[in-house]
Order: sequence, then structure tokens, then C-alpha cells
Amino acid sequence: MDLQAFKQRILPVQGRLFRLAQLFLRNREEAEDALQDVLLRLWTNRQQLETYTSIEALAVQMTKNLCLDKLKAHSRRNYSDEATLLGIQTDDASPYRQVEVADSAELMRILIDELPEQQRLILHLRDVEEYSFEEIEQVTGVSINNIRVILSRARQRLRQNYLKVNDYEAGH
Amino acid sequence: MKPDIEKLLDKYYEGDTTLQEEKLLRQFFQEESIPAHLQSHADQFRYFANVRNQHPSFAFTSKLAAQLMATEPGRGFSFTTWFRRLAASVSLIILGFAGGIIYNHWRAASPESVSSREETPSALAMKQVLTFEHLPKTSASERIQAVNQSYELKQIDQDITQLLINTLNFDANVNVRLAACQALSHFANEPGVREALIQSLKIQTDPNLQISLIDTLVAIKEKRAVDEMQRLAQNQQVLDAVRQKAEEGINHLVQGQDSPS
Repeated sequence: MDLQAFKQRILPVQGRLFRLAQLFLRNREEAEDALQDVLLRLWTNRQQLETYTSIEALAVQMTKNLCLDKLKAHSRRNYSDEATLLGIQTDDASPYRQVEVADSAELMRILIDELPEQQRLILHLRDVEEYSFEEIEQVTGVSINNIRVILSRARQRLRQNYLKVNDYEAGH
Repeated sequence: MKPDIEKLLDKYYEGDTTLQEEKLLRQFFQEESIPAHLQSHADQFRYFANVRNQHPSFAFTSKLAAQLMATEPGRGFSFTTWFRRLAASVSLIILGFAGGIIYNHWRAASPESVSSREETPSALAMKQVLTFEHLPKTSASERIQAVNQSYELKQIDQDITQLLINTLNFDANVNVRLAACQALSHFANEPGVREALIQSLKIQTDPNLQISLIDTLVAIKEKRAVDEMQRLAQNQQVLDAVRQKAEEGINHLVQGQDSPS
């Protein structure tokens, strides 16, 4: 695979990979770092890429794993930091909830962030990236029926949390 | 349109909507005028639509493209390292083959070493059986067989004659000693064998062996044995037959010495 082919096949997906990285890392710079990492890794392994049925699925998986690794490393660092601070950073149940959230997009972001990792990923792939169930199955390895269930749970949970914050009456 | 959207929303939360229907929902909530009771759903769908428009910054993409371009020439480099590895492995294989061929030539060039190598097994087996340390482990017949094997050896070396001499002098079984005596008579021309036979005459107490030794010494015309035979002939403790035999041997040897002169 030469540079031209690589650009044609991989670069169109980089927006997706970037958004996925952002979903996990919540930080533009870090997401770009992760994306760069993934793309360079793909580029150095370009000889083997032909053997994969879907390069995009591979790239998405790589991005996801890389982000989770980064988060793990982060949390470990944070944990040790916290330990040195002797727990000064008390973990308030939901500090943002007491604050009036002016920006609804920001609220949405925080609410999605609260979802379990798998729900967050599947919701993102479906509702943002418009993946078909088959494509999600390819990326996550979860069976289509389970994807449906997880997706439904994620959507309902997101809605409930949103309603709770916005103090709407249940249902409407 | 409204009931439609409500139905779609229900389906959406069950995870049953198709991609098309979800697109429809997103489009619907992008509009300005949304019925009040559906307003609460709007944020969610607007958020999804917004996120989809996020892209890595232009600065990033151009930087990345530059990086990819920079690694492109590296391909040639990686090709040469790959080629170098291949060349190294091929040359190693050739070196191995060449080494094997040269070694074979060298071996073929020195056939003596080959033949001695071929003989080694039988000689070795014989040595194994006759070694003094193995004495308790081997049977007399095995040792006789080993001694008889010495006839088949084309080359006799000091080791083997010494081994036979030791067997002659120190083996526990008379028959083995006899066999060694006979074997040694074949190798009388080897260095040290004649002296060992004379020496053995002093040591041996078994009449059979004494007689056999005298016969052997007479047969090989070893005149240096005369003194020893005389001593034997005068020894009263020795069996009469042996003394007779010794005298006979002395006569033979002395006559043999006299007659040519």
C-alpha cells in the first residue's frame, strides 16, 4: 500500500477516529495525539493492512484500545496524585448538578461521559457515526442482539439522566 | 408528522429504529419549531449532529500529512535493511554448506584416520570388556571372546598388547589367561610382548599356563627365556610335567642356538 492508497482509504476515516478518541479522552489535543499515534501505527504496518477485511474497523478498534490504555495510565497517575494529596479532592456525588448548566451541549457531553464504557461506545458509533449494527458488531465483537439491548439501555439512561438534571416531569 | 415522530421516538429508545429513521429524527430536531412536549428530546439529537461535525484541526491534518510524507522515503531504507538481512542469512547458509564440503574433503584426504576410525568400535568393545575395572561385571566367556577378537584387528597398538598382557597375568580365570597367552603368541613381534611373556613365566603358578608359555616361548625362539626355564626346571615345588617341559624347552632353545652356529 503506497501513500496514495493509504490516504485514500485511511484519511477519510480520520474524522471518525478523532471523534471516537474525543469521546474517550475529552480533550482535543489528546485526541489528536491518539489519532496521530493510530494513523502512524497503521502506516508503519501498511504491508499487513491488506489482510484485514475492514481497515476501518481495525482503525476504530486500535483507537479505542489506545484511548482506554491512555485513560488507564491517566487514572493511575491521578490516583497516585490523589494519594499524595491525601484525598483533598473529595469526590462529590455530582458537582455539576448543582450548577446551572447553561450549555446544553456541554451537559449532553457530561451525561454521555457518565455512561458505562460499552454503552458510550455503541451509542456513539450508532447515533453519531451512523454505523449499521453489522459494522458495530465488527468493531466491538458484541452480537447484534446484544448491541440492540445495550443501545436501547444507553439511550434510555441518557434520557433519564437528562430529565433528572433538567427537572422535567417524567415522561415529558 | 407529530405522531410519526412520537412513534419513532418510542422505537428509538427500544433500539429498533433503522439508520434512515434515526436520520429523520435528527433532521426533525434540527428544525427551529419543535412542539413543546418534544422539546426535551431536542438537545440529545442536536448534540449528536453537532459532534458529527467535529474534525481534527487543519493544523493537525497538515502536520500528519507531512509526517506521512517524511516516512515515505524511509521505505527505501527499510527495503535495504530488509535486503541486508536476507543477504546475511543467505551468506550464512552458503558458509555452512561450504564448511560441510571442506570438512568432507579433509576427511576424505586422510583415509588412515578413517580406517582407524572404522576399527575403533571392535577394538573399543574389546578394551571395554578386558579393562580391569570391569572384571567383576563380565563373564569368563565374554572375556575369552574379547581376547579372540584381537585376532581380527588389523592394527595392534600398545594399548591392546598391554591389555592382553594384563589379562595374561592377572585374570582370575585360567582359561582366559590361556587365551590371552595364545593371542600374545600371535603378536610376538610387537614391542614388549616377548619380555612380557618371559616375565609372565615367573609369575604364573598354574601348570597349564606354564606349559603353554614354555611352548609359546619355544615357538617364537626366545632365547632370553632359558634362564627362567632353568629356574623352573630346578624348582622342586613345580609339577614334574612342567619341569620336564621346561627342560625340553631349554634343549630346544639351546640346540636351536647351537645348530646354526
